[in-house]
Order: sequence, then structure tokens, then C-alpha cells
Amino acid sequence: MQRYIPFLKALRKLLITLVLVVLIILSIRVTEPDLVKLVSSFPKAESIMGQLLRPVFFDRESEKVTVSQVVPVPCDSVPVPTSADSGSRIVLDPPCGSPKDVINLRGFDLPQNAEISLRWILPDGGLLSIKNIKTDDDGEINMPLEIRPITSAIDGKAAQISFEVTLPNGKLVVAKTLKDVINAMFVTIFMALIATTIGTIIAIPLSFLAASNITRKGKLGTVVYYLVRAFLNIIRSYEPLVLATIFAMIVGFGSPFAGVIALSVTTAASLGKMFSEAVESIDTGPIEAITATGANRVQVVMYAVVPQIIPDFLSFTIYHWDINVRISTIIGFVGGGGIGYLLSQRINTLQYSQAGTALLAIILVVWALDFLSSEIRKSLV
Amino acid sequence: MLKVENLTKVYPGGTVALKDLSFEVSDGEFLVIIGLSGSGKSTLLRCINRLIDPTEGKVILDGIDVTASKGAELRHIRRKIGMIFQHFNLVKRSTVLTNVLNGRLGYLNPWTTTLGIFPGEEKKRAMDALKRLGIDDKVDSRADALSGGQQQRVGIARTLMQEPTLILADEPVASLDPVLAHSIMQYLERLNKEDKVTIVCSLHYLDLIQRYATRVIGLKDGIKVFEGLPSEINREKFKEIYGEEAQDVRATALE
Repeated sequence: MQRYIPFLKALRKLLITLVLVVLIILSIRVTEPDLVKLVSSFPKAESIMGQLLRPVFFDRESEKVTVSQVVPVPCDSVPVPTSADSGSRIVLDPPCGSPKDVINLRGFDLPQNAEISLRWILPDGGLLSIKNIKTDDDGEINMPLEIRPITSAIDGKAAQISFEVTLPNGKLVVAKTLKDVINAMFVTIFMALIATTIGTIIAIPLSFLAASNITRKGKLGTVVYYLVRAFLNIIRSYEPLVLATIFAMIVGFGSPFAGVIALSVTTAASLGKMFSEAVESIDTGPIEAITATGANRVQVVMYAVVPQIIPDFLSFTIYHWDINVRISTIIGFVGGGGIGYLLSQRINTLQYSQAGTALLAIILVVWALDFLSSEIRKSLV
Repeated sequence: MLKVENLTKVYPGGTVALKDLSFEVSDGEFLVIIGLSGSGKSTLLRCINRLIDPTEGKVILDGIDVTASKGAELRHIRRKIGMIFQHFNLVKRSTVLTNVLNGRLGYLNPWTTTLGIFPGEEKKRAMDALKRLGIDDKVDSRADALSGGQQQRVGIARTLMQEPTLILADEPVASLDPVLAHSIMQYLERLNKEDKVTIVCSLHYLDLIQRYATRVIGLKDGIKVFEGLPSEINREKFKEIYGEEAQDVRATALE
């Protein structure tokens, strides 16, 4: 029997290898990786990635400009005006006409492919729509214009042809997207902050109940200890994302409140566990010493227990805030509000540049908080 | 005057730590308790101030039955009993001043102290205690920044805040080197001689026992096996208390 052992060991290794290979093959078949598709869809990826990597920060400010041109009807009623040479302008050919004439109307240096509403401003101030027309790729229009009798000049005042366009004026302004992103980011940070606060407040009493050196005394204590432990473990097995989905259905999709509830619950459970371990690891010497001086129970807790656990509690809480900011960026995707919600909306509406802004903000904030929280925690030890 | 009558302690696991132990300590004595680790020295000291509840027997301090008292009465008794520990039992992250002030908690308003407020005169009292032990320059240091000898002096200063009539010292020098051990024992001796504080102290080193004790009690497996003057501990007695194996190591000091 003895000499078969090396053989059995080799066989076992072979079996384990076989099982692993089968598992890998199975997982490949289940997840259907398609390398050809990955390569063939490269142009699409390029466009999406290109936009994501060009986040929007600033917009060119634009303003509404009224473009108009006096039209003498008939030609000798008022002096024929000269057309401008540059800028958004209307050029008529001929520059004047009599009723029933059809003249040629052209517009230059207009926004490209923009819908404009052409209208008459009559001598008496009344408005008369002509038609809606779209500018071409060069930002021009070219159309016949029929001169109607109603446009005849009255008392030396001629009618005008006019429309409004929105033109960039070259000034850079903070893009609305950036403002939205900053707002949503603050919502996320504060969502994490309030959830961490609520979670911590719930976690503190739970942690003492779940600490064996405090609670596990006598029958009742032992029962409470195990109940609280079990409760914490069950809650901890729910991902904040799952909870957020459920609460989003209850309190409304896209509301930060759903995220706050979900994060508070998971934070309470997770910090409860971490705190209880901190309480369990305290040095009992000071408790003994301060009890021996004749201090009462509250004083013993305040002076022997609290100083020992405060640094750990603070450190865990800050660490959890950091985690919560990270989670709450994603929680928005399932309707929890904040930056994640904004990001999912921008992606769903194919506004990838704006999604890029949100992504960049998430990266920056997560990085900054990670740094900040580790610095603070270092100083607490 | 401390009276211990038929004290017995059985731990929940069934371990008998003390068995029918009786002795008396007069005011102003420096009683040293010797015995191997596990002989019941720590349990005895903790039964005196009720950090541990004895299974049977009585502890009577100045006519008051400590074993029968509870709540506020027990806390008032504890105020007058100082305690010094082998591992100092300071709150490591708190300052020296806070650790010393902790010794006064039993005298102060529980509400204001819970908020961390100590009256000015108590701070002065704490400074005086630290001065007496020569570590007033460390008042703002964190307790864990101090050396072992310094930490034990903070422990003694904390005890001084209680204005004790009795000090229980549980192997106060076992974590310190011999030179520091003498220095700490000398502080205890001064409290004993100058302030007339009764001291009950457990010790291991024979030379310290000979030098500081006014009387000695030997414990073995929770039973009193010796009671007498330090000079009465000869080779035979030592062997009886510490067992055969200890003879070569310790008893040479007696030769």
C-alpha cells in the first residue's frame, strides 16, 4: 500500500488539473467571449472612447442675433440700403422690388444646419411669417422671395425681412454639464457622509452588543451576543447595490435618499462588526485599575474603554466614508441619485463627452478622498 | 486594620485559587505575599478590593465587611484602597495627567467627569503627586511614551490621588529591571513610613522581601504555608514555598 502513495498523489494532482480545465472551458462557453467582435467593433470603440476621453468643461457662449435687411417696396419708396459684407447677413438680389416680384434671398455666415424662421417686419410693426428654412452645411440659405403688396413702404418707412439666429460670441463659459457634474458630485459626497454618520450612530451600540468581552456574560448576554452577530452578518451579505435597487423602487428612482438608506444599512452592519472587534481587543488592565479606584461604571467606560477605542472607531469611520463615496458613485446606476445617476443618464443618451466629464470627476474625487482618508487615519494611530 | 477570614475562591472552571485563607494586617504594616505564579497571590489581592468576588469567607477593613458591601458603599471602600499592577494598567493613549486624575474619579461628580471636566484643585493635586514621584515633567506625555519605571510611577501617582489607607501592590516590580525595582519599592516604603499607608504587596525577589517587608505570608496552591518575619525565611521554608526545583536558583541568596 505504502508504495502506491506517490502514484495516488500524482493521480490526485491530475484530477484537480482536469477539473480546473473543465471549469475554465465551461466558463468560457458561458461567458461567450468574442475576440473577433472585439476587433471588428474597434471603430465604434474608438468613437466612444474618443468622446469619453474628451470631457466637456467649457462651452462657447452664444447669443441670439437678429439679422435683418430693409426691403424697399417699391424700389423708389426709400433709398436702397447697402448690404453688409461680413457677419450674419441677408443679401437680396435685386435689393428691392415691386409687389408680386420674386427676388432672390440669400443668407451668409449663419450657423450650419440650423432651423431659422424667416419673417417680415411690416412698416406698421406687424409680423408676417414667411417660412422655416434650414441652413446648409456652409451656413447659408438661398431661396426665392415673393414680395407681397402688404409689405409696401408707408410714409417713407419700408418693411424689413428678418430672422433670429444663435451665434457663438467666442466667450468661454463653464459648461452646464460641468456644473451638473459638480452638483451631482456634491450630492454623492454628502450622500456618503450622511449615510456614514447614520451608519456609525447605529453601529456604536450594536458593536458593544456584539463584543464578547462586554456582552457575552450570563445567559441573556450570550443570546443577545449571538443574535446581534447573526443580524450583522446577514445584513453584511447584502450588497449596497442590491439594497439601493430595492429602496429606489420604494422611495423613487434617481432619489439620493434611496442611496442614503442603502448605504446607512450596510455601513451600520459593516462598522458594527469592525467596531465590535475593536472593543474586543481592548486592554482590560485600565478597566481593572479604574474600577479599583472606586469609579462608577459610566466613569470606567468613559476613562478606560473610550480612550482605547476612539482612534479605531474614527479611523474605521473615515475609511468607510471613503468606501461609501466609491460605492455611491455606482449606486446612482441603479437609481440611487448623485453622480452615478447622472453618468448613467449621459451614457444612455449617448452623450459620451459629458459622461467623460462625470467619469473624470469620479476619478478625481475618489483619488482625493483615498489620499485624504489615509492621511487622517495615519495621524490617528 | 485588615482582616481576612476563611477566604475561599473557586473559579467557574473548578480551579481552587484560595482555600480557607485567614490572616490579619495591622495598620502601618508592609506585608509581602510570596508564592509561585498561580499560587493565588493576585486572586487574594483582588478579593480584598472585590475586583474578584470570593466564593466564601470575609474581608473586613476597619470594621466594615467588604465582602458584603455593594454599589456606592463598595465604591467608597475602594476609594481608600489603592492598587498597583505588574503591567501598570495605565490608559496608554491618554496623557499622564489624565491617568493620574483617573485615580480621583471615585471622589468626583460622575456627571462632570463624564464630560471630561476636572476641577482645578484636582489638577494641582495630580501635579503634586507627580512631583513627589519626580515625573512632573512628563505630565503632558502620552502614557505609552514613558519607560516602564516611569509608567509604574504614574501608577503610584494615580493611587496617591485616592489618599489611600491601604495599598495593594500586585507584583509591582516584576516587569522592571532590578535597579528600577528598588526605586519603585523605595517609593512604596516612603508611603508606608511617611504616610502610614498599610501595604500588601506580592513579590518574587527574595532580596526585596528581606529589605522591605515587615512580615511575610507564603502561599502555595491557595493555602497559607508560611507566616512570619522575613528573617525567618530560611532554606527549608523557601523550598517549602517555591518547591524543590527553585532551590538552586533562588536559595543561593540565603547562603
